[in-house]
Amino acid sequence: MSARVAFVGKGGVGKSVISATVARLLGRAGDDVLALDADTMPGLALSLGMHVGPEGLPETLAEQRENEGWVMADPSVTPDQLVDRFAIVGPDRVRLLTLGKLPGNVKPGSTMAFRHVVRGFRRSGWSLVGDLAAGTRQAFFGWAGFARNVALVAEPSAKSVLSARRLARLAESMPGVTFAVIASKVREGDDPARVAAAIGLPLLGSVPYDGSVLDAERHGLTALDAVPEAPAMRAIAEIVTLVDQG
Amino acid sequence: MKVAITGKGGSGKTTVAAILARTLARGGADVVALDCDSNPNLGISLGIGPERTLELAAIRQSLDDEEGGAEHAETADELIERFGDDAPDGVRLAVVTKIEKPNPG
Repeated sequence: MSARVAFVGKGGVGKSVISATVARLLGRAGDDVLALDADTMPGLALSLGMHVGPEGLPETLAEQRENEGWVMADPSVTPDQLVDRFAIVGPDRVRLLTLGKLPGNVKPGSTMAFRHVVRGFRRSGWSLVGDLAAGTRQAFFGWAGFARNVALVAEPSAKSVLSARRLARLAESMPGVTFAVIASKVREGDDPARVAAAIGLPLLGSVPYDGSVLDAERHGLTALDAVPEAPAMRAIAEIVTLVDQG
Repeated sequence: MKVAITGKGGSGKTTVAAILARTLARGGADVVALDCDSNPNLGISLGIGPERTLELAAIRQSLDDEEGGAEHAETADELIERFGDDAPDGVRLAVVTKIEKPNPG
Protein backbone atom coordinates (compact mmCIF):
# COMPACT_ATOMS: atom_id res chain seq x y z
CA MET A 1 0.00 0.00 0.00
CA SER A 2 1.02 3.59 -0.31
CA ALA A 3 -0.82 6.76 0.53
CA ARG A 4 -0.06 10.47 0.81
CA VAL A 5 -3.00 12.00 2.56
CA ALA A 6 -3.56 15.16 4.60
CA PHE A 7 -6.51 15.54 6.96
CA VAL A 8 -7.88 19.03 7.50
CA GLY A 9 -10.99 20.37 9.20
CA LYS A 10 -12.39 22.13 12.22
CA GLY A 11 -11.07 21.23 15.66
CA GLY A 12 -12.79 18.36 17.36
CA VAL A 13 -14.16 16.66 14.25
CA GLY A 14 -11.86 13.68 14.65
CA LYS A 15 -8.86 14.55 12.46
CA SER A 16 -6.28 13.18 14.89
CA VAL A 17 -8.10 9.92 15.58
CA ILE A 18 -8.71 9.36 11.88
CA SER A 19 -5.16 10.25 10.82
CA ALA A 20 -3.60 8.17 13.61
CA THR A 21 -5.77 5.16 12.80
CA VAL A 22 -5.08 5.46 9.08
CA ALA A 23 -1.33 5.72 9.77
CA ARG A 24 -1.31 2.64 12.02
CA LEU A 25 -3.42 0.54 9.67
CA LEU A 26 -1.06 1.40 6.80
CA GLY A 27 1.80 0.36 9.10
CA ARG A 28 0.08 -2.95 9.89
CA ALA A 29 -0.31 -3.57 6.19
CA GLY A 30 3.46 -3.40 5.91
CA ASP A 31 3.99 0.19 4.83
CA ASP A 32 6.71 2.47 6.06
CA VAL A 33 4.61 5.34 7.39
CA LEU A 34 5.58 8.89 8.28
CA ALA A 35 2.93 10.67 10.36
CA LEU A 36 3.21 14.45 10.34
CA ASP A 37 1.58 16.42 13.14
CA ALA A 38 1.37 20.00 11.94
CA ASP A 39 -1.09 21.08 14.61
CA THR A 40 0.06 23.82 16.93
CA MET A 41 -1.77 21.89 19.64
CA PRO A 42 -0.04 18.60 18.91
CA GLY A 43 -2.30 15.65 19.68
CA LEU A 44 -1.40 13.09 17.05
CA ALA A 45 1.13 11.36 19.32
CA LEU A 46 -1.58 10.66 21.87
CA SER A 47 -3.94 9.38 19.21
CA LEU A 48 -1.17 7.09 17.91
CA GLY A 49 -0.72 5.73 21.42
CA MET A 50 2.61 7.40 22.05
CA HIS A 51 3.62 9.36 25.09
CA VAL A 52 5.95 11.98 23.74
CA GLY A 53 6.01 15.71 24.31
CA PRO A 54 5.28 18.36 21.74
CA GLU A 55 8.94 19.03 21.02
CA GLY A 56 9.55 19.67 17.36
CA LEU A 57 12.77 19.38 15.42
CA PRO A 58 15.81 21.07 16.97
CA GLU A 59 15.69 24.85 16.65
CA THR A 60 19.35 24.85 15.57
CA LEU A 61 18.61 23.03 12.29
CA ALA A 62 17.75 26.37 10.69
CA GLU A 63 19.10 29.85 11.11
CA GLN A 64 18.17 33.37 10.11
CA ARG A 65 20.36 35.11 7.55
CA GLU A 66 20.34 38.65 6.35
CA ASN A 67 18.51 38.94 2.99
CA GLU A 68 17.64 35.23 2.94
CA GLY A 69 15.45 34.94 6.02
CA TRP A 70 15.24 31.52 7.65
CA VAL A 71 17.19 28.82 5.86
CA MET A 72 18.47 25.37 6.79
CA ALA A 73 21.75 25.83 8.68
CA ASP A 74 23.29 23.02 6.65
CA PRO A 75 21.76 23.06 3.15
CA SER A 76 23.07 19.56 2.45
CA VAL A 77 20.80 18.02 5.09
CA THR A 78 18.03 16.18 3.25
CA PRO A 79 14.44 15.63 4.40
CA ASP A 80 15.18 11.89 4.41
CA GLN A 81 18.04 12.42 6.85
CA LEU A 82 15.82 14.51 9.13
CA VAL A 83 13.21 11.74 9.19
CA ASP A 84 15.78 9.00 9.84
CA ARG A 85 17.38 10.97 12.61
CA PHE A 86 14.46 12.64 14.38
CA ALA A 87 11.22 10.77 13.70
CA ILE A 88 10.04 8.79 16.72
CA VAL A 89 8.88 5.22 16.14
CA GLY A 90 5.47 4.37 17.56
CA PRO A 91 2.97 1.51 17.46
CA ASP A 92 2.76 -0.40 14.18
CA ARG A 93 6.16 1.11 13.25
CA VAL A 94 4.63 4.49 12.43
CA ARG A 95 7.26 7.24 12.50
CA LEU A 96 6.11 10.54 13.92
CA LEU A 97 7.41 14.04 13.31
CA THR A 98 5.80 16.95 15.15
CA LEU A 99 5.81 20.61 14.17
CA GLY A 100 5.92 21.32 17.85
CA LYS A 101 5.18 25.01 17.65
CA LEU A 102 3.03 25.84 20.61
CA PRO A 103 0.93 28.99 20.35
CA GLY A 104 2.86 31.88 21.79
CA ASN A 105 6.09 29.93 21.61
CA VAL A 106 7.19 30.46 18.05
CA LYS A 107 10.20 28.37 17.05
CA PRO A 108 11.12 29.47 13.54
CA GLY A 109 14.06 27.08 13.23
CA SER A 110 11.97 24.04 14.11
CA THR A 111 9.20 25.25 11.85
CA MET A 112 11.62 25.70 8.95
CA ALA A 113 13.07 22.20 9.43
CA PHE A 114 9.59 20.67 9.61
CA ARG A 115 8.63 22.45 6.42
CA HIS A 116 11.80 21.10 4.78
CA VAL A 117 10.46 17.59 5.45
CA VAL A 118 6.90 18.38 4.35
CA ARG A 119 8.10 19.82 1.08
CA GLY A 120 10.90 17.43 0.30
CA PHE A 121 10.30 13.98 1.76
CA ARG A 122 9.10 11.73 -1.05
CA ARG A 123 10.92 8.48 -0.31
CA SER A 124 9.63 5.83 -2.65
CA GLY A 125 7.16 3.38 -1.19
CA TRP A 126 6.54 5.34 2.01
CA SER A 127 3.14 6.50 3.10
CA LEU A 128 2.68 10.01 4.48
CA VAL A 129 -0.22 10.92 6.73
CA GLY A 130 -0.66 14.52 7.86
CA ASP A 131 -2.78 15.94 10.65
CA LEU A 132 -3.10 19.67 9.99
CA ALA A 133 -4.00 22.47 12.37
CA ALA A 134 -7.64 23.23 12.95
CA GLY A 135 -7.50 26.71 11.45
CA THR A 136 -7.21 27.59 7.82
CA ARG A 137 -3.81 29.27 7.94
CA GLN A 138 -1.52 26.28 7.72
CA ALA A 139 -3.49 24.57 5.02
CA PHE A 140 -3.25 27.67 2.87
CA PHE A 141 0.44 28.01 3.56
CA GLY A 142 1.47 24.73 2.05
CA TRP A 143 1.48 22.34 4.98
CA ALA A 144 -0.52 19.92 2.86
CA GLY A 145 2.04 20.16 0.07
CA PHE A 146 3.09 16.52 0.32
CA ALA A 147 -0.42 15.20 -0.25
CA ARG A 148 -2.00 13.43 -3.20
CA ASN A 149 -5.27 13.30 -1.32
CA VAL A 150 -6.64 16.03 0.92
CA ALA A 151 -9.47 14.81 3.11
CA LEU A 152 -11.74 17.51 4.51
CA VAL A 153 -13.08 16.07 7.73
CA ALA A 154 -16.41 17.52 8.76
CA GLU A 155 -19.17 16.52 11.12
CA PRO A 156 -22.86 17.28 10.56
CA SER A 157 -22.81 20.73 12.17
CA ALA A 158 -23.13 24.18 10.61
CA LYS A 159 -19.80 25.32 12.07
CA SER A 160 -17.90 22.29 10.91
CA VAL A 161 -19.38 22.55 7.41
CA LEU A 162 -18.56 26.27 7.21
CA SER A 163 -14.94 25.55 8.15
CA ALA A 164 -14.79 22.87 5.47
CA ARG A 165 -16.25 25.26 2.88
CA ARG A 166 -13.39 27.67 3.60
CA LEU A 167 -10.86 24.88 3.37
CA ALA A 168 -12.37 23.62 0.11
CA ARG A 169 -10.96 26.75 -1.56
CA LEU A 170 -7.55 25.12 -1.11
CA ALA A 171 -8.36 22.92 -4.07
CA GLU A 172 -7.87 25.89 -6.42
CA SER A 173 -4.28 26.30 -5.28
CA MET A 174 -3.42 22.58 -5.39
CA PRO A 175 -4.00 21.30 -8.92
CA GLY A 176 -3.56 17.57 -9.32
CA VAL A 177 -4.50 16.85 -5.72
CA THR A 178 -7.73 14.96 -5.07
CA PHE A 179 -10.02 16.70 -2.60
CA ALA A 180 -12.86 14.83 -0.93
CA VAL A 181 -14.96 14.91 2.22
CA ILE A 182 -14.89 12.52 5.14
CA ALA A 183 -18.14 12.88 7.06
CA SER A 184 -17.29 12.28 10.71
CA LYS A 185 -19.47 11.52 13.73
CA VAL A 186 -22.44 10.87 11.47
CA ARG A 187 -25.67 9.71 13.12
CA GLU A 188 -28.32 9.60 10.41
CA GLY A 189 -28.22 7.73 7.12
CA ASP A 190 -28.26 10.84 4.97
CA ASP A 191 -25.70 12.78 7.06
CA PRO A 192 -22.69 11.94 4.83
CA ALA A 193 -24.43 13.00 1.63
CA ARG A 194 -25.76 16.19 3.23
CA VAL A 195 -22.34 17.16 4.62
CA ALA A 196 -20.61 16.57 1.27
CA ALA A 197 -23.30 18.46 -0.65
CA ALA A 198 -23.07 21.45 1.72
CA ILE A 199 -19.29 21.57 1.24
CA GLY A 200 -19.58 21.04 -2.50
CA LEU A 201 -17.02 18.25 -2.85
CA PRO A 202 -17.40 14.51 -3.43
CA LEU A 203 -17.73 12.18 -0.47
CA LEU A 204 -14.72 9.95 0.17
CA GLY A 205 -16.05 8.08 3.17
CA SER A 206 -17.80 8.43 6.47
CA VAL A 207 -17.15 7.54 10.09
CA PRO A 208 -20.10 6.96 12.43
CA TYR A 209 -20.60 8.66 15.76
CA ASP A 210 -19.20 5.99 18.05
CA GLY A 211 -19.51 6.17 21.83
CA SER A 212 -16.92 3.45 22.34
CA VAL A 213 -14.27 5.59 20.61
CA LEU A 214 -15.19 8.61 22.72
CA ASP A 215 -15.05 6.42 25.86
CA ALA A 216 -11.60 5.19 24.94
CA GLU A 217 -10.42 8.77 24.35
CA ARG A 218 -11.90 9.86 27.66
CA HIS A 219 -9.78 7.24 29.42
CA GLY A 220 -6.66 8.25 27.52
CA LEU A 221 -6.67 5.08 25.42
CA THR A 222 -6.38 4.80 21.67
CA ALA A 223 -9.52 3.43 20.12
CA LEU A 224 -7.56 1.14 17.80
CA ASP A 225 -6.09 -0.62 20.85
CA ALA A 226 -9.11 -0.45 23.17
CA VAL A 227 -11.98 -1.13 20.76
CA PRO A 228 -10.45 -2.35 17.47
CA GLU A 229 -13.78 -3.75 16.23
CA ALA A 230 -15.76 -0.56 16.92
CA PRO A 231 -17.86 0.66 13.98
CA ALA A 232 -15.75 3.83 13.65
CA MET A 233 -12.55 1.77 13.45
CA ARG A 234 -14.02 -0.43 10.73
CA ALA A 235 -15.11 2.68 8.83
CA ILE A 236 -11.59 4.13 9.01
CA ALA A 237 -10.17 0.83 7.72
CA GLU A 238 -12.44 1.31 4.72
CA ILE A 239 -11.03 4.83 4.18
CA VAL A 240 -7.49 3.38 4.16
CA THR A 241 -8.36 1.30 1.11
CA LEU A 242 -9.71 4.42 -0.61
CA VAL A 243 -6.61 6.57 -0.14
CA ASP A 244 -4.25 3.72 -1.01
CA GLN A 245 -2.69 4.38 -4.38
CA GLY A 246 -0.43 1.35 -4.55
CA MET B 1 -16.16 43.18 31.64
CA LYS B 2 -13.75 41.63 29.14
CA VAL B 3 -13.74 37.86 28.75
CA ALA B 4 -11.54 35.75 26.48
CA ILE B 5 -12.50 32.13 25.85
CA THR B 6 -9.86 29.64 24.78
CA GLY B 7 -9.38 25.87 24.51
CA LYS B 8 -9.01 22.92 22.16
CA GLY B 9 -11.04 22.76 18.97
CA GLY B 10 -14.43 21.17 19.35
CA SER B 11 -14.55 21.65 23.10
CA GLY B 12 -17.32 24.25 22.91
CA LYS B 13 -15.51 27.62 22.95
CA THR B 14 -17.68 29.18 20.27
CA THR B 15 -20.96 27.97 21.75
CA VAL B 16 -20.01 29.18 25.25
CA ALA B 17 -18.85 32.55 23.89
CA ALA B 18 -22.05 33.07 21.88
CA ILE B 19 -24.41 32.19 24.73
CA LEU B 20 -22.40 34.33 27.14
CA ALA B 21 -22.56 37.29 24.74
CA ARG B 22 -26.29 36.99 24.11
CA THR B 23 -27.11 36.40 27.78
CA LEU B 24 -25.16 39.52 28.77
CA ALA B 25 -26.91 41.51 26.04
CA ARG B 26 -30.32 40.28 27.18
CA GLY B 27 -29.40 41.50 30.66
CA GLY B 28 -28.98 45.00 29.25
CA ALA B 29 -25.23 45.12 28.60
CA ASP B 30 -23.75 46.56 25.40
CA VAL B 31 -21.83 43.59 24.03
CA VAL B 32 -19.15 43.34 21.35
CA ALA B 33 -18.33 39.76 20.35
CA LEU B 34 -14.89 39.39 18.75
CA ASP B 35 -14.12 36.28 16.73
CA CYS B 36 -10.35 35.78 16.98
CA ASP B 37 -10.34 32.23 15.61
CA SER B 38 -8.45 31.55 12.39
CA ASN B 39 -11.58 29.61 11.51
CA PRO B 40 -14.17 32.23 12.48
CA ASN B 41 -17.53 30.56 13.12
CA LEU B 42 -18.87 32.68 15.98
CA GLY B 43 -21.54 34.16 13.71
CA ILE B 44 -23.17 30.75 13.35
CA SER B 45 -23.41 30.23 17.11
CA LEU B 46 -24.73 33.77 17.58
CA GLY B 47 -27.43 32.99 15.03
CA ILE B 48 -26.66 35.06 11.91
CA GLY B 49 -26.25 32.01 9.67
CA PRO B 50 -23.37 30.73 7.51
CA GLU B 51 -23.65 33.19 4.61
CA ARG B 52 -23.43 36.34 6.74
CA THR B 53 -20.68 34.68 8.78
CA LEU B 54 -18.66 34.03 5.64
CA GLU B 55 -19.32 37.57 4.42
CA LEU B 56 -17.96 39.07 7.66
CA ALA B 57 -14.65 37.34 7.22
CA ALA B 58 -14.46 38.54 3.63
CA ILE B 59 -15.01 42.11 4.77
CA ARG B 60 -12.24 41.72 7.29
CA GLN B 61 -9.94 40.51 4.54
CA SER B 62 -10.75 43.55 2.41
CA LEU B 63 -9.23 45.80 5.07
CA ASP B 64 -5.85 44.16 4.49
CA ASP B 65 -6.20 44.56 0.77
CA GLU B 66 -6.99 48.28 0.89
CA GLU B 67 -4.53 50.77 -0.51
CA GLY B 68 -2.43 52.30 2.19
CA GLY B 69 -3.56 49.81 4.81
CA ALA B 70 -2.34 50.84 8.21
CA GLU B 71 -1.68 54.42 7.14
CA HIS B 72 -5.30 55.35 7.57
CA ALA B 73 -6.06 52.89 10.33
CA GLU B 74 -9.22 53.76 12.17
CA THR B 75 -9.97 53.43 15.84
CA ALA B 76 -11.25 50.12 17.21
CA ASP B 77 -14.72 51.64 17.59
CA GLU B 78 -14.78 52.74 13.97
CA LEU B 79 -13.60 49.34 12.75
CA ILE B 80 -16.29 47.50 14.70
CA GLU B 81 -18.89 49.92 13.33
CA ARG B 82 -17.66 49.60 9.77
CA PHE B 83 -16.84 45.91 9.57
CA GLY B 84 -19.10 44.37 12.20
CA ASP B 85 -22.57 42.90 11.89
CA ASP B 86 -25.59 42.91 14.18
CA ALA B 87 -26.37 39.58 15.80
CA PRO B 88 -29.51 38.75 17.82
CA ASP B 89 -30.12 40.41 21.22
CA GLY B 90 -28.15 43.46 20.09
CA VAL B 91 -24.74 41.78 20.13
CA ARG B 92 -22.29 43.50 17.75
CA LEU B 93 -20.06 40.91 16.07
CA ALA B 94 -16.70 41.58 14.45
CA VAL B 95 -14.14 39.18 13.03
CA VAL B 96 -10.60 40.17 13.95
CA THR B 97 -8.75 37.31 12.31
CA LYS B 98 -6.88 37.42 9.08
CA ILE B 99 -7.58 34.30 7.07
CA GLU B 100 -5.46 34.38 3.96
CA LYS B 101 -1.96 35.64 3.24
CA PRO B 102 -0.99 34.25 6.63
CA ASN B 103 2.32 33.94 8.41
CA PRO B 104 3.91 30.51 8.52
CA GLY B 105 2.41 28.07 11.00
